[in-house]
Amino acid sequence: MKQHQTTQKNKTVIIARRKRSSAKGTGLSHYILIEKPSEKKEHGKKA
Amino acid sequence: MKRGDIKTAASSQGRWANSGNGIALYPVDIDHPVFTAVVSPDTAFWALVDKSELAGVFTDGHPLYREYYRKAETFAHEMNALRFGQKPSAVYVNPTERCNLDCSYCYIPGEMRKDGRDMPKEVLIGALERMKRYFRRNTPEDYKPEVIFHGSEPMLNREAVFAAIDYFGDDFRFGVQTNGTLLDRESADFLMSRGVGIGFSLDAPEAVLASRTRKTWLGDGIYDTVVQAIELVKGYDRYSVICTVTKENMAALVDMVDFFHAMEVPVCMLNPVRCTRVGGHMMKPDDAAVAKYYLQALDRTHELYRETGRKLVVANFANILLAVLAPTARKLMCDISPCGGGRCFVALSAKGDLFPCSEFVGLPEFNGGSVFHEDIDDVLEKTSFRKVTGRKVEDIDPCNRCAIRHFCGSPCPAEAYSLHGTMRSPGAFCELYEKQVRYAMRLIADGKADDFLEDNWENSVETVFDLALSSPA
Repeated sequence: MKQHQTTQKNKTVIIARRKRSSAKGTGLSHYILIEKPSEKKEHGKKA
Repeated sequence: MKRGDIKTAASSQGRWANSGNGIALYPVDIDHPVFTAVVSPDTAFWALVDKSELAGVFTDGHPLYREYYRKAETFAHEMNALRFGQKPSAVYVNPTERCNLDCSYCYIPGEMRKDGRDMPKEVLIGALERMKRYFRRNTPEDYKPEVIFHGSEPMLNREAVFAAIDYFGDDFRFGVQTNGTLLDRESADFLMSRGVGIGFSLDAPEAVLASRTRKTWLGDGIYDTVVQAIELVKGYDRYSVICTVTKENMAALVDMVDFFHAMEVPVCMLNPVRCTRVGGHMMKPDDAAVAKYYLQALDRTHELYRETGRKLVVANFANILLAVLAPTARKLMCDISPCGGGRCFVALSAKGDLFPCSEFVGLPEFNGGSVFHEDIDDVLEKTSFRKVTGRKVEDIDPCNRCAIRHFCGSPCPAEAYSLHGTMRSPGAFCELYEKQVRYAMRLIADGKADDFLEDNWENSVETVFDLALSSPA
């Protein structure tokens, strides 16, 4: 993720960002079913 | 905006936020020295705006509003699919009604935990066969549904649980949520060798405080036993520990995260107690007070990360942060409206009956019928389930006018129903969510959000909106 730095010349005045799961549908999981990042794309639900 | 449709019969071109066909975009103070948030409640879209520039966002043709307007319908459809387009892909199984503990806030009725029945091994396997067939019809071919053995205490029926894990093997991803008192070396090795997720419960970093809420039927504490059980899985990458936050332990949350971090726990949850039953309600902490301690604990996890390079992820906060950064990538399905109960997952009681969530197992009016005698699709449409899956923030006051309603979801319906007798009442910890969302946005403003999330979380997401505007300092 980007660091929002203010320079002497310019300052960031608006930050707007949105991401979405690239798995099929959502990445439903459970807190005790900790996923390794490499597994995440295998999971997901058809919307 | 209704269900993803931003077009109406009105002649307005939608040029301005908050009027006519313009999209709602509300300012939300986040207690940050530079930025204020603007949030579009229906799509969970947000931006952080320098306070000196805030008024400009609402002027005709501003690039933030213009760019958002172009994407708003897509985001609305995305939220609609997340909220209303899911089918269950996980089951929480109570393989026994019994528990060897009598924790003060448990949502399972005491008589059930004391004298209840176990699910025989063959019955458990038969029930999971039924669930497997349902999941196969309703999930993608390469998707592995989830089975979480839950409480009461599943390890009291260890033989059946372990038999089911070996019987189904790779058909499911398995997890066991246990109080830890019955987990010996042999059991721990069995679960770890099969990649089973293990969740423990521990409410304090020392024995006296821990025993105030979690204890045996004779009132004895179990702290030492649980700590020893956690030690058995040290280094295993699929375990977590839940700390249920009550009025008893809220002031110890900073010490709690210190303790978890020292034990090398990779993931914990600091869950505010559910007030579904009287015992839980009696333990409810003051909302504003618990929020203060909760944020202090989050601060402390960050200090520990900076000091050691090792994270302790607080999963329920990480989920709120994900709900802001990437709404469809969130994992827990409590903090969303409708909640995941009965639509993303179901619960299976030891008698073989289906409930929307384990939280409802003690409430017979939410019994959807037997997994052996009912078609699961029919169960999902019964009133007992529709009452839960139909509970949405748009119907709840003040959620229907809250800008952050889709980062919170106003959990939990079982709690709301038990406390107020109606689903149309808000969750018990409104201010805690207000403060968590603001904290999450401050982290984003300061470029620290990654420090609170699992490593590489961005590997499974794609960017769909990225706007950064600068002006001369």
